[in-house]
Amino acid sequence: MRITEQAKQESRARILEKAAELFAGKGFEDTTTRDIALAAGLAAGTMFNYFPSKETLGMTMVTDALNQGTEDFRHRRTGEEDLTEELFLFIASGLRRLHPLRPFLGPVLERSLSPFPRKTVCQEGEAARLRHLDTVQEIISRHGFTEAPDYVAMTIYWSLYLGILAFWSSDESRNQEESKGLIDYSLRFFVQVISGASADTGEPHANI
Amino acid sequence: MQTYDSNGNHSETTDMEMLLDALPKENSTDPTGQRLARLITRISNKKVPVTSFSRAWILSSLHAKVTFGYFAYWLRSRFVDADEKERLRNEAHLDAALRLLGTMGYMRGAVMKVGQMLATLPEIVPEQFAEVLSALHFEAPPMHFAMVREVIIDEFGREPEEVFAFFDRRAFAAASLGQVHRARLKSGEEVAVKVQYPGMARSIKADLRNLRVLLQPMRLMQDWGNMLDKLADIEQVLLMETDYQQEALFGKEARALYTDEDRVVVPRVYDEYSTKRVLTTEYLHGCHLDQFLATSPSQEERDNFTALVTKAIYRIYYRLHWFPADPHPGNFIFMENGRLGLIDFGCSRRMTDDEWRLMCNIEQAVLKQDEQQSRRFIAKACLFNNPEEIEPARLESVRRGVDWQMEPCLKEGLFDFGDREFFRRGVDCIVDMTRKRYTRGSPLYLWTNRLSLGGRALCYRLKGRCDMRKIQQQESVWHQ
Repeated sequence: MRITEQAKQESRARILEKAAELFAGKGFEDTTTRDIALAAGLAAGTMFNYFPSKETLGMTMVTDALNQGTEDFRHRRTGEEDLTEELFLFIASGLRRLHPLRPFLGPVLERSLSPFPRKTVCQEGEAARLRHLDTVQEIISRHGFTEAPDYVAMTIYWSLYLGILAFWSSDESRNQEESKGLIDYSLRFFVQVISGASADTGEPHANI
Repeated sequence: MQTYDSNGNHSETTDMEMLLDALPKENSTDPTGQRLARLITRISNKKVPVTSFSRAWILSSLHAKVTFGYFAYWLRSRFVDADEKERLRNEAHLDAALRLLGTMGYMRGAVMKVGQMLATLPEIVPEQFAEVLSALHFEAPPMHFAMVREVIIDEFGREPEEVFAFFDRRAFAAASLGQVHRARLKSGEEVAVKVQYPGMARSIKADLRNLRVLLQPMRLMQDWGNMLDKLADIEQVLLMETDYQQEALFGKEARALYTDEDRVVVPRVYDEYSTKRVLTTEYLHGCHLDQFLATSPSQEERDNFTALVTKAIYRIYYRLHWFPADPHPGNFIFMENGRLGLIDFGCSRRMTDDEWRLMCNIEQAVLKQDEQQSRRFIAKACLFNNPEEIEPARLESVRRGVDWQMEPCLKEGLFDFGDREFFRRGVDCIVDMTRKRYTRGSPLYLWTNRLSLGGRALCYRLKGRCDMRKIQQQESVWHQ
């Protein structure tokens, strides 16, 4: 039983590895599940047991990276950050782990995280969204907010985050430095929205 | 009539009256200042989108309105002779251009300062001018530590705490394009780590583009081409400033010029901890001008630092043919045992061979008091082929400026830079040239003027003396 589980994990890892190579080489759109199965040395049918679709596969990579990013964030947090800074650290840690996936991130996110209604919701994408927002919620609650921000505020947050991902995935500036400015600005804006502050003076966000 | 609203605040009527009082008046077209006041009020009622670079759009304050009013006045005054149609067209343009100012990021602080200076020029006192000059540098927004960490990881692949033995979360100084953190290398040296705000180059390019639009009302002037050349030069120097490796190079060249005996210290650059966006240098212990002055230093101490500032800059100028073009007080460290620290070579201007030769020619002609040659080279510097082409009033105005710059080199013995009258004359020369629009010339002079006025403003505030003639003679030996 243990061997089977181990073999399963190995196959899963191999599929993910080969898929990443193919996505980066041929592009997400032009890679078929057949190509991936072939490269991983599996029958197409067997592969579907692991990943029912190419989207699930891509989004699993994204989710794995984002989970690692969240782990990194928890280690990197010092507890001295103000709200904007902590959110920045969270997003930046995720992007750093997503970096190897950047060449094919656009189409993956477009399929799995699209904010527009779709016939079939990508479960991995939806789960990633909820996990991300949970962490945001956890960060916010550390800064003295007793109530969770309402649906509108969190929708604004998610829109900003998707915008950041979209911009970052095609940001050609050195080390994606322009994205960093965008993240900073977006987060200041979001913090202002939920704090109800009329003007951002550029001071660190108050420890409410 | 003063009126108050229900909250007891001054109403708009009062604001308008105060604005009318404060704004400049044009006798022929706008004797009451009403038109200008309306223009400024209209603009300030419009909202401008802000970026993180310019979060506080403060045109709503009276102070800012007056500043902008002077800007508008200055731009408009260039059209007193234009016909009514052209003037109206420019009025509309001015409205758009002034609003555009609010969208500027990095350079807006500097442009606002220029506006403030224009507003106070007629009655300006030397102390104010010295202060405005020292504040005339550019501003990047402060970065929180999470952002600093990301920049360090991008540049070195590791967290700041891994790269350095210690890295202070809090910045201890603002730099022109970012901020400076104290840190300690694993080998034990105390260092200053300058970290650049991400995306500065793009912001600078965007600002310069906006500035060109802002100045469009002047496009019909005969010197418009020269103005564009100057803006291009500014853009080039500022963009070079975004490359910290370039700055490291300037710093290393300068550092090699001084020995212990000179008592001028340029901090060592740590190459393995420096990249295009992060610059790590030795940390210099000492204080800045204001703190130094607060210790009520003796005349001897003041003279010592005045001589060191003069020597330090002349040496770079004569031996390396470039100069630090941003001599604001923050770039000088007053160290123990009367030593002077020179930091921040980001804003440095290298001279081309042609520029260098012309600088030497003017200097030699003035020092030898050769009237004919002086006129010839000054005309050339103002982009005229020969002295006959240049209007006598322009020649005289520019000449006064050059003479003021060279005056301390013509005097034997100690020259007193704390002399209010002397500094005042320098300010007057600049005001005169600007007012009469005699500013046409090679873009190089933007920077040399900034250097000499900035340097002298510093020495004026120091109230120091030095034998400038002797220092100049000693240092200039190198190019003869």
